[in-house]
Amino acid sequence: MIRKGILKAWASPLSSVQIIGSLSVYLDSIPTSRAIPTAEMVVGRNVAVLFLDPSNFLDAVIIAVWTS
Amino acid sequence: MRTLSGTLTAAQKTASALPHPKVEILDRVAGLTRLNWTRLYTGAEADAFHAVAMPADGSLIRLRIDSTNLYRQRVTTPGAGSDFATWTSWAVTAYAVALCAYGSAVFAFRVGLDGKLYRADSADSGASWGAWVDMGAITGTAATRLACCCKSATLAIVLYSQSNAVYRRRLSGGSWEAAAAWSLSVASITGLAVRYQGDWNVVVTGTQVTTLKPYVWTCVYGDGYSAGVGTWSALVELTRAEAGSNVSFAFPCLDFPDVFRAFFVEAYSGSEAYTRPFGTHSLATADFISNLWREPVPFNLASTYGLALCHSSTYVWLTRPDAVWRASLTPASVELTADVLLLATALGEASGELSLSLRNDDGRYNTLGTGTYAAIKLGSEILFSPGYRTTAGIEVSSGQAYWITGWEYVSRPPSSVFCLRASDGWAMLERWKARRQYTWAAAAKNIFQLLSWLHARAGLEFSSFSTSSAIVNQYPAFTINPGESGRSSVLRLLSKVPDVLYFRGNYGYIVNPLAADASAYTYGTTHAILEGRYITRSKESNRAQVFGAAVFTEDFDWTEIELLSDILSQVKDLNLTTTTRAHERGAAELREAAIHALDGIVLVPLNCGQEMYDVVDLTDAVAGLVAAKRRVLSLSHIYNPTKGQYVLKIGLGAL
Repeated sequence: MIRKGILKAWASPLSSVQIIGSLSVYLDSIPTSRAIPTAEMVVGRNVAVLFLDPSNFLDAVIIAVWTS
Repeated sequence: MRTLSGTLTAAQKTASALPHPKVEILDRVAGLTRLNWTRLYTGAEADAFHAVAMPADGSLIRLRIDSTNLYRQRVTTPGAGSDFATWTSWAVTAYAVALCAYGSAVFAFRVGLDGKLYRADSADSGASWGAWVDMGAITGTAATRLACCCKSATLAIVLYSQSNAVYRRRLSGGSWEAAAAWSLSVASITGLAVRYQGDWNVVVTGTQVTTLKPYVWTCVYGDGYSAGVGTWSALVELTRAEAGSNVSFAFPCLDFPDVFRAFFVEAYSGSEAYTRPFGTHSLATADFISNLWREPVPFNLASTYGLALCHSSTYVWLTRPDAVWRASLTPASVELTADVLLLATALGEASGELSLSLRNDDGRYNTLGTGTYAAIKLGSEILFSPGYRTTAGIEVSSGQAYWITGWEYVSRPPSSVFCLRASDGWAMLERWKARRQYTWAAAAKNIFQLLSWLHARAGLEFSSFSTSSAIVNQYPAFTINPGESGRSSVLRLLSKVPDVLYFRGNYGYIVNPLAADASAYTYGTTHAILEGRYITRSKESNRAQVFGAAVFTEDFDWTEIELLSDILSQVKDLNLTTTTRAHERGAAELREAAIHALDGIVLVPLNCGQEMYDVVDLTDAVAGLVAAKRRVLSLSHIYNPTKGQYVLKIGLGAL
């Protein structure tokens, strides 16, 4: 399962992401793909979060970052 | 299986028994009265600090602050024609106010502009008041929050915030104790509410220490019921937001008219900003400290200072300075048994529906929601209690509840039929959608507790008849993504354990189906089997591999593997960190496959007490079955008086 989100905080290698649909609460401590350059992890950018296990937020990874 | 009387059991086994499928509709949701608010007053008063209480004489006492001036109001017999617009100036100033009553005793509190806490007492239900009593300096400001409630006429408490701490003063032994700070830590306090019910139950809004995340918390100041006398329980989350999300919470209110009912203000300062009360309630059987609340829902009002709640034995009252609402605590109800032309249920492993056709040849159901049929509304509760006329009179087995999802009129002149559609707790779970990201860290809650939380959010009670080790010993990291349904989340949790879930009324019950379970009922001997189909099929899985966090296990069904080669299922779950937990998951996979390896149905005269996942034994000589045990995997009740049908179709599985 892949979810779109907005990067709210970034402290390599973990991110805090506002998954679209969650107005008030963010998903914290999401690992980020090593393929993404650190300089691209800018707060406010869109990110794609791949949930390898839809039930477990610890089994997820940010696989893409982009600007609208 | 629900317990039946001897006479009802005997009746359902006889070929000539007269059916009596009792059908009632109540204006309730999940067993609780649905509060239908009627607005009795719309005024021009400013939205500001206010308070409400109802002493035993039934008068409605209100306080409000206009600018910094305090006003009071007493309406002796509040109702639709009452004057809620006339206020009496108390000729004092206030930052904040609170009000509580017990019997004819009423206590009013205010935080004065001089920073002091003041109290005024009434011994005659607010008809007359004593002078304001100076209770001391509390460095009160416009940010001070105030709440109070009574345990009795001589035992009461007032809570006030001072910076980031809550202080309490208790009335005990005829005097007010000295102020004492709580033992909890927050960064700020934006609202307080308290209600006595066994303990002093408290709702707090504010921000969390360090993270500054806005929260609505609950906690208990103990009086010996759920917490020791004079001790504070930890703050627990009712809802929360992120520090940078533009969402904040304030001004809660709390009362216990039938269950704990609360409102708080949620404010959003982003695009399309709002400041709106949200309402929620606890479950009928849940203690306050268990913190099980239905999902807060928005109330159709913009309000910065929120609402105030009180109740009598017949009504709940909800107020703001410029508004008064009330809602009856007695749900409208109607029995429809005599009008039933056709009734059918379809209960499955993750669904439950009811359809009901009622005679409408005289147009009796053409006007719904008022009069005799006031209870017939979307969302109302249908109680279906199958029964018979027995030697002891009419007897029924209650326990099935559904909630109306819609209806249709079928017109074939001169025939006219009104058809109701309803669904059970599974649909209640489906209708709950996560409105934000929910996460639980590993070790925070076990699967049973997560299921209990999910049921509460949908307004449903949750319990168990039996549980597996896995459901109480697995504490997974778990998330629910925004937009996901409660049903989907429940099914994801259940997929981790061998336990199954079914609904009896507004309760979801967990059962751990074991191969050694005893039979609850016998068909084919004294209770006839009208029709039967018995199917055997290969299992969907006979070898389960489980990949956890640095853990790998396998479980096998060797008998099937020898016959069919291996049919592999694989589980990947990083929450599984020990071989014990991993083997439990593997065993659950094989149990699921084993239960569904047998299939089929039997059609029997309606058994009033049969429930999902019961074990029954079947004797059907034509099919070679003698006391063969099967598990109930689906149920369909059919009542069709024009065809003389009153039967139960039971879907079968293996033990």
